Amino acid sequence: MALNPFFLQGSQSEQRLVQELINEQLRMYGVDVTYIPRKIVNKDTIFNEIESSKFDDNYTIEAYVNTYEGHSGAGDILTKFGMSLRDELTITISKERYDDFIASFLESESDDEIILSSRPREGDLVYFPLGQRLFEVKFVEHEDPFYQLGKNYVYQLKCELFEYEDEVIDTTIGEIDTQIKEEGYITTLQLIGIGQTATASALINSGYVREVFLNNDGNGYTSTPVIQFDDAPTGGSTATAVAITTSRGGVASIKEILITNAGSGYTVAPNINIYSGGGTGAAATCSIETSNKGVVSIAVDDGGSGYPTIPTVTIAQPSVGAVATATTGIGGTVASLTLVNAGVAYAQAPVVTIASPVGSGTTATATATIGVGGTVTSLTIVDAGSGYGSDPAVTIDNSDSIKDPTLAVRAVAKAEISSGNIVTAIRIVNPGIGYTEAPTVTISNPPLVSGSGVFQFNELITGSTSGTTARVKEWNSTTNTMKISIIDGYFVPGETVVGSASSATYAVGSYSSDDTYNKYTDNDEIETEADLILDFTESNPFGTY
Amino acid sequence: MLGTYFYHEIIRKTVVSFGTLFNQIYVKHNDANSDVESEIKVPLAYGPAQKFLARLEQQADLNRAVQINLPRMSFEMNSISYDPTRKVSVTQTFKAVDDNTRVKKVYMPVPYNLGFELNILTKLNDDALQILEQILPYFQPSFNVTVELIDSIGEKRDIPVVLDNISFQDDYEGDFSTRRALIYTLQFTAKTYLFGPIADSTEGIIRKVQVDYYTDTNQLSAKRQVRYTATPQARKDYDNDTGALLTEAVDTSETIISLNDTSGLSVGGRVIIDSEIMKITNLTSTSMTVKRGYDSTIAAEHANGTKLNVLSTADDSRIVVGDDFGFNESLDFFESGADFSPTRKVDL
Repeated sequence: MALNPFFLQGSQSEQRLVQELINEQLRMYGVDVTYIPRKIVNKDTIFNEIESSKFDDNYTIEAYVNTYEGHSGAGDILTKFGMSLRDELTITISKERYDDFIASFLESESDDEIILSSRPREGDLVYFPLGQRLFEVKFVEHEDPFYQLGKNYVYQLKCELFEYEDEVIDTTIGEIDTQIKEEGYITTLQLIGIGQTATASALINSGYVREVFLNNDGNGYTSTPVIQFDDAPTGGSTATAVAITTSRGGVASIKEILITNAGSGYTVAPNINIYSGGGTGAAATCSIETSNKGVVSIAVDDGGSGYPTIPTVTIAQPSVGAVATATTGIGGTVASLTLVNAGVAYAQAPVVTIASPVGSGTTATATATIGVGGTVTSLTIVDAGSGYGSDPAVTIDNSDSIKDPTLAVRAVAKAEISSGNIVTAIRIVNPGIGYTEAPTVTISNPPLVSGSGVFQFNELITGSTSGTTARVKEWNSTTNTMKISIIDGYFVPGETVVGSASSATYAVGSYSSDDTYNKYTDNDEIETEADLILDFTESNPFGTY
Repeated sequence: MLGTYFYHEIIRKTVVSFGTLFNQIYVKHNDANSDVESEIKVPLAYGPAQKFLARLEQQADLNRAVQINLPRMSFEMNSISYDPTRKVSVTQTFKAVDDNTRVKKVYMPVPYNLGFELNILTKLNDDALQILEQILPYFQPSFNVTVELIDSIGEKRDIPVVLDNISFQDDYEGDFSTRRALIYTLQFTAKTYLFGPIADSTEGIIRKVQVDYYTDTNQLSAKRQVRYTATPQARKDYDNDTGALLTEAVDTSETIISLNDTSGLSVGGRVIIDSEIMKITNLTSTSMTVKRGYDSTIAAEHANGTKLNVLSTADDSRIVVGDDFGFNESLDFFESGADFSPTRKVDL
C-alpha cells in the first residue's frame, strides 16, 4: 500500500516554515545559553574514559527551558561525600541553528579533540546564565516532537550539573570561567614580592676556638641539646655554639656543631659540655688558636628579605696576594716586572699571568719565586712577548689552594633563614686563620630582586627550575599569595614563576600541597590531629605526615 | 554505680588515626604525550556531618555552579563490637605514671573492634584504581598504627587496622537519565582498646620489710637466727607535736642549742628545724646537744624563735606516696626456734 498521492505529508516549504516558526519562538521565549564543547586531551582506550578534557570554546545559542517550573532532579542532597547538587535541566534548541552556528565551526576543529561535530554531544557543557551554573549534557533527544510534517526540528538537551575534576575551563568569557574559581583542588603558592640582599659584618680576634671535633654524636635527642664551652679567662669572651641534630632510622643524634661565637682570650682549649635535649652520649672537644686571628663572630646587620632558600655566605680571604706591574720596552716586549706587594702566606710559587697584547703579538710569560714567610721574592720574565703598545696588566694568583694552611685559611660560614624568608643568623663553620683586619662578608642575592607584573585569572604559570605548571585561580598582590589549580608537580622554593599571558614574574617563597580552601577537604585537619597522637618513631611507609 | 566521669576520646583518636592513613593519596592525569597534566591530592573527610553545617560550608553560594568536585574519599565508623579474642583478666591492672609523676592504677583495657568504611568516589575508573593501588599494598591484611590512646599516662598501643573487604559499584548500564556512579568501598576493622577511669593508685608505700635468716636451707630443722627489718623513716614532721622554740639564733656549726622547752625530746631522737634534721646526743632542761646536718640534710642557720619538731614513729606512719623518706633499720638476733607467722604477723 502506498500513501495517498493527493495528500502531502509535509512539503519542504512547510517543513521550512515550521523550522522558521520554531526558530522565531525560541528567539522570543528562550534564554541565551552558552554551548561549550568538550575537547578531548587524553583518552584511555582500555577503560574507555576521557582522562583529560578542556573547554575553551563558546557558542551562544537560544534555548527554550522545558523545565520552566524549576530544576528537575533530586535537588541538593547531603551524601557521604558532602553536598551534592543534583539539579537537572532540560532545554530545547533549534536543530537548524545548531547546524548553522555550532556544527559548522566544530567541523573545522581537530579530529583528535572533537570526535563528533554533526550534532550536540553528550559530555558537552551548557552554561545556563539565569542560575550561572554549568550543566553537562547527559542525553540528546532528537525525536521529540516526533517527525512533525516528516521532520525533526529541535534537539532536547537533558542536562545535569557538571561534576568538576580538573578540566580546564577557559572560554574567555569571564562570567563562565570564574564560576569554577573556587572549585577543584586548589593549593597555595606563596611568592616573594621584593627581595633585598642581606648584609653582615665579621669580628676577628685571637685566642679563639679554631675547630670543634664531634667525638660522639650521641642519640635519643628529642630537642636540640645545649652546647656549653668553659668560660674564657678574664678579659676574653666565652665561645658559644649550637648543635644541629639529624635523625636516621628513628635515632636522633647530633649532626654537627656550628660556632656562633668562637670566643677570645683562651689560652687552653676549653671543655665542651653537651646537655639537655633528651639524649645522651654526645661528646666534643675543640682546638684553639692563640697567636693568629680568625673570624670569631658574624653579626647580621640587615637580614634582607625574599630568601626562600639558604643563601651562600662568602668571607674574604685573610691574606693579601702579591701585586706587580709590567713595563714595556723597545719592540713591544715586556722589559721588566716590578713587585709592588710581595703578598703573604704562599705555600707554593703562584702563577703569574701577563695580559695579552692588543691586536697581534705574543703574550709574555713570567714566573714567581717565593721566600721565607710565603712572600714573593722575585719575578722572572720567561718570554718577553711582542706587540705590546702599552704596559700590560699583571695578575698573580692568590687562590686559597696555594696558601699555607697554618698561616692563612679563609673562614667559612652558613646562613640561617626564618620562615619569613629573612636571614636571621650566620653560623661559623670554620673561623679561619691569619686575618689582620675584619674581612668583608658577602651574602648571595635572593633569587629575584623584585617581582613584577600582575598575574591573570586562569593563565598558565610555569616554574623555571621544576618546570611545574599550574593555572592561576586568584592572585593577591598585597600578600603575594596565589591560589593555583590543575598543578602538574611541585614548585620549588627559590625558582621563578612566569605567567604565560601576563608575563608577570615572581620568585617562589614556599608551596603547600594542602587544599585549605575546599570546605569538604579535611586532610590537613586530620593530619594535624593525628600528629599529636600517632607515634612515628618507627618509619612510616605512607610517607611523611 | 557506673557514673564516674571520664572521657579519654579513644574512639575519636582511633577515627583520626584511621583517617590519617589516607590523607596523602594522589591522583594524576596525563595528557596525550603521557606527561603529567594535573596532580590532585584526593580530598578526604569524615563522612557524617551536621546537615546545616555541611550546607553552610559547602554550599555557601546557593547557585553553586557544579554538582560536586571529584575525586573524593570519605570514611566513617559503622560498627563497634567487643572482641572476645583479645580478652584479658578483668581484674588485672598495671601501673602508670602521669605527668605529675604520680602513680596511677589502670585496669587492663577492654578490647573493642571499630568497623570503618572508606568510600572512594571518582569520575573515572582509572582514578579509583590509582587510589586503590596506593592503599591496598600496605594492608597484609592489617597495618599497625601506634596511637597514644591516653595522653595523661602516655599509654601507647599498637592498633592493627585490618582490611576486611573491598566492594565496588559501577552503574554504567541503563538509560541516560542517570549518570555513571563509581564508588569503591573498603571495609576495615580497627582493633582498639577502651580504658576505664584512671584511678590514683590505692596502694601506699611499703610499711615494713622483714627478712629472717636461717642457719640452713632446711627451714624445719634450722633455727632462725637473724632478722633484718626496714621501715620508712620520715624526713619531715607530720603531726606538729612540740611547741619548743629556739631561744637563740643558731649558726651552721653550733651543736649546743638553747630551747624554751625540752619536755618532748629524748636523747637519740631526731628533731627537725626548718629543713635541717638533727640527732640529739644530750639534753638539759634548756638546751640540747645535737649532731648537725643529720640524715644527709645540710646544716643551716636558724633564727631565734624558730619552731622545732620531733621526728617520731608517729611521723613515720604518716608518710604517703610521693614523699621523700628514709629508712629505719634494725637487726635482731634470736636463739629460740620460733618462726614468724606471716598471717598472724607474730613469732610463734
